[in-house]
Amino acid sequence: MRQIPHGTSLRTGEAWAIAFTYFTVAITVSLVHSTAGTPTWVIVAATLIVNSATATLAFAAVTAAGGSVAAGVAGGWLTSTRFGVLAAALAPRLWPQRWKRALAAFSAFDPNIALANREEKDEDVRRVYVAMSLWLVLPWWLGASIGALIGDLVSDPKALGMDAMFPALFIAIIRPQLITQNARLIAVSGAVVALGLVEVLQGGLPFLVAALPALLALRNREDRKG
Amino acid sequence: MLTWGVVVVLAVGVYGQRALGMALINPKLMGDRSRQVLAMVPLSILCAVTALQTFSSRGELVLDARVAGIAAASLLAWKRAPMFLIVVVAAAVTAGVRLL
Repeated sequence: MRQIPHGTSLRTGEAWAIAFTYFTVAITVSLVHSTAGTPTWVIVAATLIVNSATATLAFAAVTAAGGSVAAGVAGGWLTSTRFGVLAAALAPRLWPQRWKRALAAFSAFDPNIALANREEKDEDVRRVYVAMSLWLVLPWWLGASIGALIGDLVSDPKALGMDAMFPALFIAIIRPQLITQNARLIAVSGAVVALGLVEVLQGGLPFLVAALPALLALRNREDRKG
Repeated sequence: MLTWGVVVVLAVGVYGQRALGMALINPKLMGDRSRQVLAMVPLSILCAVTALQTFSSRGELVLDARVAGIAAASLLAWKRAPMFLIVVVAAAVTAGVRLL
């Protein structure tokens, strides 16, 4: 990996935690697809080029529940809209060159954007984003490929508690940001909005609405620590 | 079941959204207030994702073993435990509760 200089908030431990989580979850995602009858090489290709488990799993869920292929694709697109919003949130801190941002867009995920976004200097944002994208995407691809090939070995991912890994990782990433009153308010509001809307709105729409509490950043100009 | 065609269509749509997000923003035209708000968007969305992955399943609110795992993870995160430990303990506690 790249050397992360002192002074940035990124530590090697965080990189390994992300790599481990995405590697493990990728295996289970592949398992879901292979039990749904998807051929091994299609699973590997889906991981590489769609690069979003949210989208492929939503497709699988909709079609498994009897939905049409078109409904499945729509579900997949809808659930991954949050990556576009996250990309937009980080964009002003990334490179001015369009082609570099277009390249960076491919690996817009939750944890690498959240970690990069924590940095104060734009150059650190870019370095952390590139480093974390690699630490996320490479284990993700590796795990998905292994899962597609030997998925049968992990008979029941839920019995191993694997479905708790993503939210746990995200809590660990969120925690250092909760030092201001505004940040805490935004965090709680985002969670409450999503929980309130999950049974009302389809697919990824609750996540889009859950971006709105970020407007609370304007609440008071001096954001006191508390 | 995924097919090659579905994979390509999904990939185009998902990448399109990500690229659109990057392209829509012109850093030179952004004021301080917009930057302040955008800087908080990942926090808000991550909390939403965390909440739904803890308390919901397939579009319905659910209370199950994950809640115990995430409670343990939150406690460790509050004590600033290493991230790796937080993830492993969350999975272990969730698995443990399911065994009961």
